[in-house]
Amino acid sequence: MTKISPGQEKKDRVGAVLVVGAGIGGMQAALDLAGSGLLVHLLNDEPSIGGTMSRLDKTFPTGDCAMCMISPRMVESSRHPNIKMHTLASVTKVSGEEGNFTVTILEKARYVDADRCTGCGACEGECPTKVSNFFNQGLDKRKAIYALFPQAVPNTRAIDAAHCLFLTKGVCRKCEKACDANAINFDDTDKEYELKVGSIILTPGAKTYDPGIRQELGYGRLKNVVTSLQFERLLSASGPCGGTVERPSDGSHPKRLAWIQCVGSRNAHNANPWCSSVCCMYAAKQSIIAKEHDPEVDATVFYMELRAFGKDFDKYIDKAKNSGVRYVRSMISEIVEDPQTKNLLIHSVDEEGRLIHEEYDMVILSIGFEPRENADGFARIFGIDTDSYGFAKTSKLEPVATSRPGVYVAGTYQGPKDIPETVIQGSGSAAKAMALLGESRGSEIEEVVLPDERDITGEEPKIGVIVCHCGVNIAGTVDVKRVAEAAATQPGVSHTETIIYACAPDGQQKIRDLIKEKGLNRVVVASCTPRTHAPLFQDTIREVGLNKFLFELADIREQCSWCHMADKEKATTKAIEIVNMNVAKTRLLDPVSSKSVGVTHDALVIGGGIAGMTASLSLAEQGYGVHLVEREGSLGGLLKNVRHNLEGDDVQAFLTETKARVEENEKITVHLGTTVDNTDGFVGNFETTLADGSKFTHGAILVASGGTEYVPTEYGYGQSGQVMTQRELESWLAANSPKASDRFVMIQCVGSREEPTNYCSRICCQDALKNSIAIKERMPDAQVTVLYRDLRAYGLKEDYYKKARDLGVLFFLYTPDRKPEVISEGEALRVRFDGKVLGREMEIEADYAVLSTGLRPQEDAQKLSQTYKLTRNSDGYFMEAHVKLRPVDFASEGLFLAGLAHAPKNLEETVSQALAAAGRAGTLLSHESLTVSGIIAKHNRDICMSCLACFRICPFGSPFIDEDGRVSHNEVKCAGCGLCAGICPAKAFQVNCFRDDQILAMIDSVTTLAEHQDQGSENT
Amino acid sequence: MIPDGEKTLERQGPEMLYEIPSDWDANIVAFACHYCAFAAADLAGVMRLSYAPNVKIVRLPCTGKLDHIYVLRAFERGIDGVFVAG
Repeated sequence: MTKISPGQEKKDRVGAVLVVGAGIGGMQAALDLAGSGLLVHLLNDEPSIGGTMSRLDKTFPTGDCAMCMISPRMVESSRHPNIKMHTLASVTKVSGEEGNFTVTILEKARYVDADRCTGCGACEGECPTKVSNFFNQGLDKRKAIYALFPQAVPNTRAIDAAHCLFLTKGVCRKCEKACDANAINFDDTDKEYELKVGSIILTPGAKTYDPGIRQELGYGRLKNVVTSLQFERLLSASGPCGGTVERPSDGSHPKRLAWIQCVGSRNAHNANPWCSSVCCMYAAKQSIIAKEHDPEVDATVFYMELRAFGKDFDKYIDKAKNSGVRYVRSMISEIVEDPQTKNLLIHSVDEEGRLIHEEYDMVILSIGFEPRENADGFARIFGIDTDSYGFAKTSKLEPVATSRPGVYVAGTYQGPKDIPETVIQGSGSAAKAMALLGESRGSEIEEVVLPDERDITGEEPKIGVIVCHCGVNIAGTVDVKRVAEAAATQPGVSHTETIIYACAPDGQQKIRDLIKEKGLNRVVVASCTPRTHAPLFQDTIREVGLNKFLFELADIREQCSWCHMADKEKATTKAIEIVNMNVAKTRLLDPVSSKSVGVTHDALVIGGGIAGMTASLSLAEQGYGVHLVEREGSLGGLLKNVRHNLEGDDVQAFLTETKARVEENEKITVHLGTTVDNTDGFVGNFETTLADGSKFTHGAILVASGGTEYVPTEYGYGQSGQVMTQRELESWLAANSPKASDRFVMIQCVGSREEPTNYCSRICCQDALKNSIAIKERMPDAQVTVLYRDLRAYGLKEDYYKKARDLGVLFFLYTPDRKPEVISEGEALRVRFDGKVLGREMEIEADYAVLSTGLRPQEDAQKLSQTYKLTRNSDGYFMEAHVKLRPVDFASEGLFLAGLAHAPKNLEETVSQALAAAGRAGTLLSHESLTVSGIIAKHNRDICMSCLACFRICPFGSPFIDEDGRVSHNEVKCAGCGLCAGICPAKAFQVNCFRDDQILAMIDSVTTLAEHQDQGSENT
Repeated sequence: MIPDGEKTLERQGPEMLYEIPSDWDANIVAFACHYCAFAAADLAGVMRLSYAPNVKIVRLPCTGKLDHIYVLRAFERGIDGVFVAG
């Protein structure tokens, strides 16, 4: 990592950050910070990291399994040399100040030695005490010694001291006897210690509403009423019923499912007044997945308002509707159980006002978020302010900064939000800490010094095969001795050995000794999965000078002994085959050298709106140079037209100040009135030419090219001064005072949420609320009517919806098939619409019709997408690398995304995303050089025919057409997926460690051509 | 001793079915993506799910890496089934 020195005053700051809470937001912040050379203490109060997302079954819109997405992040967090994990830990005291905090940590006794525990779970089988399983939302039981979930990280058990028989009553100790690894330590005690950090990031998450409070819905009393989080566990393949949804009363598969929305949300009386932001979408997801599980499922969602406000959310709701999910707009006041069948009766009112009684097999309550328990106490420890509800208080203009300098916040602790917004804030808060501690990068971390690699050129393969017992986990089922003996007969194998625990410190020392004593030049360990353990053994062999790619891990535990316990003979045969396959591959392994390339520590930021300016300032504060390119003659973008946000902040003052800071910053070069003409190069080493001829090099590209406001053609806009947009009304209100006699009618979703622009523009509901509140506060007698489809006042913005209603703003629903009509009659307007409540057409007179118009992608987005090979969604917004976990990255390395270029969003969200993109870019720019991963495709130009198959299929743009007109391969961009190798007709691409000859050797190892022919003739 | 001609005829018959010996196990090779299907196979183990032991997994960085020659080679050498998962 690099140290860039703008000033001396930052020198004394501690180059370490405490991240409190290891859910997806905390892990994102930790990985970004660790990647930039800061030491991270990642704290979690549970025995495993993972947070709320680890409890989810799948995520929309892709239907990917949440665990499959989060699990690699958890493993990465646990293995990162710059991240120190503290589980079962909490903070008790914070002293000091920004740059230099002293934090007191209380780490509870785990009673299991994490260094010794192999995660086998033998102890769990013996433990006699059953406890309600908190992770599975109380749907089943776990033992007193437990792993939070099967994929827990760290992969080690913990003893629940409150329920352990020995720790409570002094008897039992069965787990101790069951543990061959001697990992149980009943003498363990709670530990208190201090850490020095320069900054603190709070990502503790939120808790969910307890619907038992609302007795009329029967939760806790009626067995088949479950919460949405319980339903996630019921859907989950690793949940209490293995992924086949069973209803709690009788274990049958429920066919008639109902979701009740807004349970615990949007209700100031006996629940929480805010909107929880995520429930509309997870209900859609759950209903779609429930139908995928069982096509006979009838799904009904009872909702108040469909708040599908995010990117491509409406499309997903449409998918739910098209797959047969029934949406009923009705508030449910009661659930009644049939005592015989335990089925559930719901009474609802249909749109004609009739009372409908329907029976369901199971009802899911869509519960919302609320601040963590003891939110006040938590905030007091860190000395930060909360809002009146207990969420961390932040300014809408600085969404990740708490009231205490140096303490930042991300995720649901700052207010309800979904996964991508949490990840965005995780990276955004990391960017803030990186700016604060940029000078101290690298000061707290240790560099590992390794011996030179041994040159094995010309040596015959001398493979060492180490077969691990894993206590009884492997050896109890597989005859490990026979496996080792069989391996010894394989060509190239010069030594075999069995070890009780290969991964334990003594096991690893044994491997190091064997390599030296026997002169081994390749190693196969037969034990557990390479996904988690290969890096450990690779490091081990590297420590004694073997290239780390001269290693294979044969998985004979997860993929053999654990699955074939019933047939030990066949399990042993399979283990022999698995080991021999890997030996066959290992024989052909070659050392892989990881090349590295330098990094230019400057960034190109495209777009001088608030996203581009915020990102530029953050990058400059982190210590990097910035070229900010704006096509217009001045900075500011769309924000130039906005005066206030919904929360009342003075946006123009903020914009003026931001512009001044950008213009004054020596590290930022502003290029006005020009655009990007061409960019060459690759991650870390780009060279860009602008249309005005200027040319510069840079290491990262941040696309913040913005969007445009829709100019309506509907409702007579442009023909009468009485028909205006919300933005024009805002300006009008700045110059004029509404009169008591003024009548305003606002029409929502103008040019949004219908073909050809069938998406929600997200900001228009907020604009309507903002302007209607402004009118009513200044002139209470003025009449304001809002005609809406779904009032999307998500999250804490619900407060303003309520405020507008309290001020007397009238809200009427309309549906897109019966849109309002605006009729101009001389001085006045008449607005006609279908009154849904009265069931008859209504007409109101108005002086002003205000159109809530949405946003459109920037017109030159098409050109940018061609220049940088970036994909856009069907609406023309740029596509991020991954909807959930990489919301500000592009799939191509070195390119990042923020603001309206990504999707419609408000100022607060834009600032968060801009900080996040700057954080991601900063992590990249902090490196002196980038090491190319070893597992990449190698291109052989001599046999390449330049057919361009690779060029077309590569998602990362690494094959390119070189100056001589033929294909070359940029290994820096390569992710090693091997799509090129699969498609190349000339076999000019070969992936390191997955070469065709290596894979074929594995296939050959489990097949025998000669034997097959013999059998063939015998059969005749 | 069966004459060669007859043997050839018998073996050519497309409807000719051999009785499967009771102790016969299909030999199956699976090609699995490191990130999903291979991880799923691991999870099956973690959850102690039981399945027939006659399937061996070849790990690929992505199932997009699968080459025709892998499948053809496996069948050429008498594999009974190829499972591609990713």
